[in-house]
Amino acid sequence: MSAAWQFYIATVLIYLAVDVTACLGLNLQYGYTGILNFAYIAFVAIGGYTYAVLTLGPQPRGSFQRYFFGASLPFPLPILAGAAAGGLLSAVLGAIALRRLRSDYQAMVFLVVSLVATSVVTNAVGLFNGAAGLSVIPKPLGSALNLSLLDYQWFYVGLTAAFAGLTYLVVHRITGSPLGRSLRAVRDAEHAAAALGKNVAGLRMTSFIVGGVIAGLSGALLVGSITAWSPSAWLYQETFVFFTALIVGGTANNAGAILGAILVPVVFLEAVRFLPQFGPPGLTEALQWVAIGTISLIFLWFWPRGVLPERRRVITLPGLPATARPDGSVAESPAAGTAP
Amino acid sequence: MLTTLGFGIQTASVLAIAAVGFTVQFGVTNVLNLAYGDVMTASAFAAYALSGVGVGGWWSLLIGGLFGALFSLALNHFLYTPFIRRGASLFVMIIVTISVGLITQNLLQAIWGSNFFSLHLSPGATIHPLGMVFTVSQLYIVLVAVACLLAFHGLLSTTKLGKAMRATAADPELARNSGIDTRRITSLAWMLSGFLCGLAGVALTLEIGSFDAGTGGALLVPIIAAAVLGGVGHPYGAMLGALVIGIATEFAATIISPTYKDAVAFAVLIVMLLVRPQGLLAEIATTKAVAA
Amino acid sequence: MTSADDGGREFILEVRDLTRSFGGVQAVAGISFGISPGKITGLIGPNGAGKSTTLNMIAGAIKPTSGTVLLQGAAITGLPSFQIARRGVGRTFQVSSEFPSMTVLENMLTAVQRPRGDALGQALLGRWYWRQSEETLLDRANGLLGRFDMTPMANEPASTLSGGQRRLLEIMRVLMAEPRILLLDEPMAGVNPSLSRRIESHLLELKAQGLSMLIVEHEMAVIERLCDHVIVMAQGAELAKGTMKAIRADQKVLDAYLTG
Repeated sequence: MSAAWQFYIATVLIYLAVDVTACLGLNLQYGYTGILNFAYIAFVAIGGYTYAVLTLGPQPRGSFQRYFFGASLPFPLPILAGAAAGGLLSAVLGAIALRRLRSDYQAMVFLVVSLVATSVVTNAVGLFNGAAGLSVIPKPLGSALNLSLLDYQWFYVGLTAAFAGLTYLVVHRITGSPLGRSLRAVRDAEHAAAALGKNVAGLRMTSFIVGGVIAGLSGALLVGSITAWSPSAWLYQETFVFFTALIVGGTANNAGAILGAILVPVVFLEAVRFLPQFGPPGLTEALQWVAIGTISLIFLWFWPRGVLPERRRVITLPGLPATARPDGSVAESPAAGTAP
Repeated sequence: MLTTLGFGIQTASVLAIAAVGFTVQFGVTNVLNLAYGDVMTASAFAAYALSGVGVGGWWSLLIGGLFGALFSLALNHFLYTPFIRRGASLFVMIIVTISVGLITQNLLQAIWGSNFFSLHLSPGATIHPLGMVFTVSQLYIVLVAVACLLAFHGLLSTTKLGKAMRATAADPELARNSGIDTRRITSLAWMLSGFLCGLAGVALTLEIGSFDAGTGGALLVPIIAAAVLGGVGHPYGAMLGALVIGIATEFAATIISPTYKDAVAFAVLIVMLLVRPQGLLAEIATTKAVAA
Repeated sequence: MTSADDGGREFILEVRDLTRSFGGVQAVAGISFGISPGKITGLIGPNGAGKSTTLNMIAGAIKPTSGTVLLQGAAITGLPSFQIARRGVGRTFQVSSEFPSMTVLENMLTAVQRPRGDALGQALLGRWYWRQSEETLLDRANGLLGRFDMTPMANEPASTLSGGQRRLLEIMRVLMAEPRILLLDEPMAGVNPSLSRRIESHLLELKAQGLSMLIVEHEMAVIERLCDHVIVMAQGAELAKGTMKAIRADQKVLDAYLTG
């Protein structure tokens, strides 16, 4: 297999790990807690920018790009800082938007946040170099390791896979624990959850912030690989790709989130690369979006619970029957307001 | 400063038509139609297409409105209502409307490409009412907006349809039990708000001069801000909200920078939600059922 | 400080001059009463009398416009519902509010206040940390399932339960929280007579074990069998209070039920 092919495969694997990480975070927020976070990509973005700014070093005089602050921190600090930035932004936004708003207003506010974030970053050029964005961003351990281009790529595959695995562990532990149950209770019937002593607002914030940290992490890892980041890479529609991934793969199911990440951002979007270029520039991209939108609609109509739906958690104790349900899945509830 | 006020009034008039349409749509049908901006764009393109075959000029406004009405009606009939009848959750409906918006915007992009277009309309003479600067055509747009809103006001307050719409918006169950055919009212609400949507789309493109596939979507933030400011579902509130947002953003553009208009609208929205979220607080955390 | 009635008995929960207005309408126009420990108190009245609103104000789901709610002498007025719940006030809902995507057992486990594994740090430590405590809770749940004859439904998703089973689930669930006082909002609504009797006998059992209860109902017969003390509401205010026998003889009450 030629080196070029290997490089390509390694790159796809990197994207896969990053997308899996991102989808797991959104699944925690939306799938398990019912938060319609339509600004998810903004948290990915801030993780990316934070990583960039903390590796580019202080802005030198006459530099072709302008940005705010700037430092050259050693690995893994910039990546961790990116994750922390995602968490911090979630804390701020969560405090404003999560508390008292009805779900649809919340969704609307998040969407608006995403749109405005793009607008602000594009226009405040001193922040992150505006529309041109940041580039020539150093890779993690890029100079320290002194590997060939291909070898470094495989190293990065391992790095992102490790972080994806860590993310999976965190999300798995949360969702399988009593905390996960409390989150699902808030999602299913928040007034009943409150009547049972659950601090609904606090639980939402917890889920939102953890999801934000994961989003920031995925952003930092992505930028470390592609070494450039600009508003065109994180428009509001990108959040929609993740939601489509969850819809296809299955929400409130970590395996479903992983499957969705494989099928949508990776398989579907990468597959397009192999089609012959046709029409004017921008046409394929536009049609891709049409396809993503259509896939969402189709799945929401025919298979709303996705390929791997939320699983029923059977608890076996002596004396308790585990009633046979062939697929082990959770039945559809006509009254459920949120689980699709 | 008066010039800025003039700009503000222009922006506000277009925004008012759009915001009233949006708020009525949300209020009566309970569907948060995030495709609204893209329906506006589609209507503008429809008017553009027809102007290419000779039906242009000021007819574009009417064409835009009709297209908007038909498109919205079709969306509701073929897509939104079937999902609602299936018991779709709030999340599903939002994803559906976002998908529609995404598909619409990108189909327009695919068909017409990334170029900018404009509906040719001669600006006419420049006049100076009250110290503000307007071209005749700009003034026409403001007048059209005012006329539309007055007509709408008349419809809402005096006709049976208007009363039925208000009743359905306030309490769909009660309206149904009082003998109102809420399905028919909902369809009519989609048509009316769709008309306003399409009209606003064309008016917007006339106001800013040139447009592309993303123009309508870009107005979504001020539209939502205006609707929320006035209290979602209250058409008069939306008109007031549009006036405030329109003027505030123009002043911000002059004083700070033109590129921060969205951020100002957003700031207004957030402050509103934090300080006076009338009707936005869920008291016993029950979401209003999505109207069928 | 404790609150007491004329007879000097202490109330476990007391309501003083509780009012709630919506817009211009007074749904509850100043009501005062007390719930005695270990007894079942009934709050009855025709539809629209303000009974559920009163219960919701006690439980913290609605903020009172004015008035006080005292739990064992301490004011809990206006606190958010989750904090009131944490102080031992359990409640059920008029419309069954089970968590539909979770099984019966999961529903019940969720009711436990702050078990091990509920805080973020604890959850991240992993199963080994909270496993033991979970098993203890499962034993408790198992016991409740047995008492309510719901053992076969243990691992069924709550959305597949019948209406009556959902009612039982809601009661079992709130009992898992081990409340000091239980507020029941029309527990028999939409329930068939035989299940209604079953629920009644369960409630009497709970009373025998010392649980204080407030039941909102509008069916006199149920109240008669269950309640020691009754408050009758009409149009947001107290119409009469006393034992069921006294109420039955009260002309005002009979009038209210005939016209209301």
